[in-house]
Formats: sequence, C-alpha cells, structure tokens
Amino acid sequence: MRRSILSQPSVIIVLLLLTAFTVAVVGMSEAAGGTLSTSLVKTLGMTLCLCLVAIAMDLVWGYCGILSLGHFAFFGLGGYMVGMWIMYARTEQIVVQAAQAATLPPTPQEIRDAIGTQIFGVVGGARIPPIWTFADSLWIQLLLVVLVPGILALVFGWLAFRSRVTGVYLSILTQAMTLALSLYLFQNDSGLRGNNGLSGLQNIPGWESTPQSVVSIYFFVASAIALGAGYVLAAWIVSGKFGSVVRGIRDDEARVRFLGYQVEHYKLFVFTLTAVIAGIAGALYYPQAGIINPAEIAPIASIYLAVWVAIGGRGRLYGAIIGAAFVSLLSTWFTGGRAPDINLGFATIQWVDWWQVLLGVAFVCVTLFAPKGIGGLVDYVVRKP
Amino acid sequence: MSALLEVAGVSVAFDGFKAINNLSFEIEEAELRAIIGPNGAGKTTFMDIVTGKTRPDKGRVTWGPSNISLLRKSEAQIARLGIGRKFQRPTVFEDQSVFDNLVMALKKPRGPMSAILYRRDEADTDRIHALAEEIGLTKELARRSGELSHGQKQWLEIGMLLAQDPQLLLVDEPAAGMTVGERQHTTRLLRDVAKTRAVIVVEHDMEFVRALDCRVTVLHEGSVLAEGTLDHVTQDQRVIDVYLGRSGER
Repeated sequence: MRRSILSQPSVIIVLLLLTAFTVAVVGMSEAAGGTLSTSLVKTLGMTLCLCLVAIAMDLVWGYCGILSLGHFAFFGLGGYMVGMWIMYARTEQIVVQAAQAATLPPTPQEIRDAIGTQIFGVVGGARIPPIWTFADSLWIQLLLVVLVPGILALVFGWLAFRSRVTGVYLSILTQAMTLALSLYLFQNDSGLRGNNGLSGLQNIPGWESTPQSVVSIYFFVASAIALGAGYVLAAWIVSGKFGSVVRGIRDDEARVRFLGYQVEHYKLFVFTLTAVIAGIAGALYYPQAGIINPAEIAPIASIYLAVWVAIGGRGRLYGAIIGAAFVSLLSTWFTGGRAPDINLGFATIQWVDWWQVLLGVAFVCVTLFAPKGIGGLVDYVVRKP
Repeated sequence: MSALLEVAGVSVAFDGFKAINNLSFEIEEAELRAIIGPNGAGKTTFMDIVTGKTRPDKGRVTWGPSNISLLRKSEAQIARLGIGRKFQRPTVFEDQSVFDNLVMALKKPRGPMSAILYRRDEADTDRIHALAEEIGLTKELARRSGELSHGQKQWLEIGMLLAQDPQLLLVDEPAAGMTVGERQHTTRLLRDVAKTRAVIVVEHDMEFVRALDCRVTVLHEGSVLAEGTLDHVTQDQRVIDVYLGRSGER
C-alpha cells in the first residue's frame, strides 16, 4: 500500500537535479575538453560526499533527534580505511619497481620491510603495524570502510543509549569520542602515521596511466551515484512506519516506549546506519582530497556538520544537501582568498579569518529567525494540503 | 479466580517521601475499576510502577495467568505484554497525521526491521477507519494531529490505546476537557471495552465515576484507603475525612 519511494516529488526532483548537475560537470570538465579545471571537479565531487554525510546527519539528528557531534569521526575512519589500501598498494608498486634494478630479486619479506620503511619512516618506524594486515587487499579494506565505523557506532551507541544518555549529554559524549579518536591518531605510534596522516591518496594504484582529470571524473560520478543512492535509501526508510517511529522518538521518546517500541534499538539502528553512510562518504572524499590526517576528525568538523544541516533545514533530507553544498562551497570561496577584502578604514575584513564569524552569525540567525533553515523556503512555494 | 494484574506490598519513596506505601491491588481480566484519591495520593506513581517507568523499592507486581513479574521489565516490554496507558495530558505525536499516529499504535511487531519493511494491508486500513469512526476523527485522519483541539487529542489518544489492543488499559483522567456529550461517549466506550478487558480509570470527577458504575478504589497517602462501590466508599467516614470533605465534592 506504500507508495513507491520513486514517486515522491522531492526524491524525483533531487535525483533529476543531481543527474543534470553530474552530466553538466562531466561535459564541461577538462577530460571532455571543457573549461572546468580538475581541481574544481574534485572540489565539487568532495562537496557531493559532504552532502552525503549531511544526509546521514539529518537522519540521526533531524529525524531521530540525536544531536551527534561525532559523525565526522566515522567519515574520517572511512577515509583512513580506503587510504590504507591506496598508500600500501602504491608504495608496494614503487618498491617493486625500484627492486627490479637490483641483481638479486628481493624476497617477499624484503619487500614488506621496504614498504614499512617507506610508509612509516616518517614517524620513525619501519615495521608494518598489525592494523595494516589487510592493507594489501582492496576488497577487505572496502569492507572495513563499512565495518569499522559501523562497529564503533554500534558499541558506542549501545553503551550510550542503553544508559539512556540523551540530549546535550549525548552530544558531549560524541564530541569526546571524536576528540579521543583524533588525539589517538595524532600519536606517532597509533599505526596511522600520526599527524602526517595518509597522503598521496589521489594516486590510485592501477590507474597510473590515467590522467588526474579523468580520475577526478570517475570519483565525481561515483560520489554523485553514492549521494543519489544514499538519498533514496534515507527517503525510503523514513517514508513509512519506521519514519513515524523515529520522529516520534525525536518528539517524545517516553511516549514511544509506552507504545511498546524499544527506543534504544531504533536509536542504535539509526546511529549505526548513519555511521556507515558517513564512512562510505569519507571513503569517496579523501581520494579526491588526496590527504587525510587526524585534524580532519577534530571535534569542530562534526560541529560544522550540524551547522550545515541546521542552515539547510532539519528533517527534510534535501535541506541537508542544500546546507552542506551551500556552506561548504561558500567556505571554499571565502577561505580560498578569492573573496575581496573589505577595507573599513580603521580595519580590514579579511574573509579568510572573518568567514568563520560570518558563518557563526548566520548560524545564530538561522536558529533564531528561521528554525526551518533554507529548506523552509520550499514550504512557502509548496503549500502542504 | 486469578487476577490479571496483582500488585502486592509495593512501596516507593522519592527522597524520603513515601509516594506509595505498602500498596496492594488486584484487577480481574474483564473488569472496570476507578481509582480516586486526593492530589498526591499516589495515583500517577501507581501507574508509573505498573508501566515500568518507576521501580518500586519493595513489593511485587505480577501479570497474567503465569504471574510474570513486571519489576525487571522495560516500559516497552510491559507495553508489548498488553498494558496500554493513556496519559493525563494528551500526548500524541503532533508533527504527524492522525492516521500515522494510529498506524504507529496498531498492534504489530515492534522491531526496527519490521517497521522498515512494514506494508499496510487492507485489514490494517479498515481497522484504522473503524477506530477513527469510534473516536469521531474520520474527517481528521489526514490532518496533522497538532492541529486538533484538546478534546480531539484526548480522543486520538484513546484511539491509539485501543489500536494497541491491550489486555489492561490504564486511563488517566479521560474526561478532562470533554463536553457532556463526549463524556457520555467515553463512558460508553470504557464500559464496552471492559467487557473483554481490564480497565483502570484514574479520575477526579465524581459524576464521571458514578456514570462508570464500577468498583472504586480510594487511594490516600500511597495506600488503599477503601474499596467497593461508589456508594460504599463515599459513606466511609475515613474517605469523607481525607478526600470528599476536604474537596467539597459530593
């Protein structure tokens, strides 16, 4: 009896716009002989990934009412997992190539040692840490993109929701989680190269002969597909009774319990699912960014995520896309040094610094005067029956 | 004769204040019972204990023919066992339509996966329309429940309670804010429901209790002061002293 998810107007419009945008960007890219620079294509592809993690944030916060300020940790973990394979496989190629010049063929152990020195020399190590055990297998690392954020969210969520930690306490706990993870990764012996992070992630092993302009298109299209699929999945699960229950949990958790629903199970489900989506988004983002380091999952990143969703409008999915795209692109523009400075005579507003102030003011204004965010404008156009 | 719900020797204190003091209470499988008592007599705390919101310091609460203890169960588990609750202040999900509120309450598997995969069939739709008819909200089904009047929200909550198909209904002040006609309808409904299920009504309004025409339990300072027909308890001198005399009601 449930209408097909693909018949919802908002889903159709989002998918059409996304398709049109993808076709336009691909058509105008350098790879297709257009004028759109490769770095801009990468920025746009990364923006699509941010939109995907924003959808996850909207599911967990806008629909289920859990203000998680730690979802960027899952995003970062996804990036690290795929980054490990890229770095390992790429370094292996280089090592093997270099060894071909030697008179004796190297033993597998020698190759492994050389890879270890190459990757971990920067943090004063040479041994490959145990967490890199599967780094040579793309498929296992891709599985870990889903499993590592998923399991972390499952354990963390189980502990938190079981103890009925809610509201601001839960937000603080999630901040603590992402801070702890970030501090841990900053350590040189964490096994993930400390503050150097993983780099050279734009060089995808196996695609050496493919120019970056083409690689960027591959990732851009993959990001667009992931965003479209994530949007449809999210819209699908909130369209039926599950959506009713999670919105009920957001509005009156106790009442949902008295209806016989195990609120903790629902929260855990949403928390874990969104962590997995965030992990996938991160796995697509960082090969386009080229580098990941622990600063990426600093507490502020997850707060930005909440700000995007608030500015875009909570509880409407497309609001998350609008907010993430709008704010992150503006941020790129303002901090990229292309925004003209304003000379006030006694002081100069340099947008690289003042952008944060502008964003803060915008956030306060949206919270006070437009709690529905930018997406709320849609309500003026479409009068609900 | 086995009681559906048995509460025996239950006590609970909040910061030293004894909200419930050695309370014992029983209800049969198809029985209508009114609980009355002055403010602070422990009526709401009693409901909180039965529904799992509050854990008593001592005593036992057992349910059903096999006497399952409810003390270690969560609110959701108790609700799934068949105890439904209607709150004093109507609490419906205001952001959602009347229809969706009722769908959520319908007796169905309650797990996340079953909720995701749930497909409403003909029977469920019919059931919701029948319920809407019963609670007089047929025309309001598509409306956001936040737009309903106070009385309509009361009705919606009663409808949600019925949709759960519980064996025991705990109803807190159902008639508050209702018109005379609506009260009569509520009375009829509750008496009807009590033919096959147990119903406990907490109520202040004596006229309403009289119309229910059922056994009455009077609570005072966390324990049962008197029990019997309304006429019986209203003639009890202790009841007159602590409750009826003070509030000036008949």
